Amino acid sequence: MKKKFPISVHLALTLAALFVALYMIFLYAPEEMTMGEVQRIFYIHVPAAWTALLGFIIIFVSSIVYLWKRSQFADELASSTAEVGFIFCTSVLVTGPLWAKPAWGIWWTWDARLTLTFLLWLLYVAYLMLRNYLINPARAANLCAVVGVIGFVDVIIDYMAIRWWRTQHPQPVIGGGPNSGLDPRMLATLLVSWVAFVFLFFLLLRVRLGLAQMRRELGDIRHILAFRASED
Amino acid sequence: MVNKYLFLAYAFTWLIFILYVWNLSRRQARLRKELEDLKRKISEPFSASTSRESKP
Repeated sequence: MKKKFPISVHLALTLAALFVALYMIFLYAPEEMTMGEVQRIFYIHVPAAWTALLGFIIIFVSSIVYLWKRSQFADELASSTAEVGFIFCTSVLVTGPLWAKPAWGIWWTWDARLTLTFLLWLLYVAYLMLRNYLINPARAANLCAVVGVIGFVDVIIDYMAIRWWRTQHPQPVIGGGPNSGLDPRMLATLLVSWVAFVFLFFLLLRVRLGLAQMRRELGDIRHILAFRASED
Repeated sequence: MVNKYLFLAYAFTWLIFILYVWNLSRRQARLRKELEDLKRKISEPFSASTSRESKP
């Protein structure tokens, strides 16, 4: 893995993608007619939301693998993804109200989409709290895997909320039926921005996974030292 | 003049990511140091015992 795709190449690609995305957001995408330039928040808000949902899908799959196979890597992948996904979900909850205020005149409303996204953020928080505050690591891994599986229900309902119910949040612009759609330049900008966010997500995930593996190595060495001390 | 909401949204987003990267790099440096210390600790008695054994 390291030989095929070194982290330095990953970093360079991420920076390049972010640079292209920023160029497209501010210089290529046309200004939206009713909201004006504040609509450009869309190009970070939506990709961050998609990436936060993607994060929980990874947690869901790796939690199932952990519960089924007891794979340590699956557990480390889930816990690392939870941390990185939490950052993206926080970004969604910060950019959302900053867009809502000029567009709707209010910072927040408890409609289905917003509430379910807030619930997703709380699930990330619950996952990380369980991971960090439970003393027994095996118990923490089990409980976190259960949260990862049950929490996935929220991901599905959150994704479908604007399709099932009429909400204050805008209806889907992609895959939302015959009346949905975007200007081709806006669509291209959105997709490039999402690709950049996905690159950034996996870059952060790789670094965070490295930390988890380093922590495991430390635990192993401590065991060896404790064993030697008990022998002496 | 840039819209203040647009500016704040981008500024906060990048601030969140920059703070997280900074936090990751601090944790990485601390773990690396701890790992080096422990590795040194684990190799010291081993090398001492092997040198004792090799003596006639």
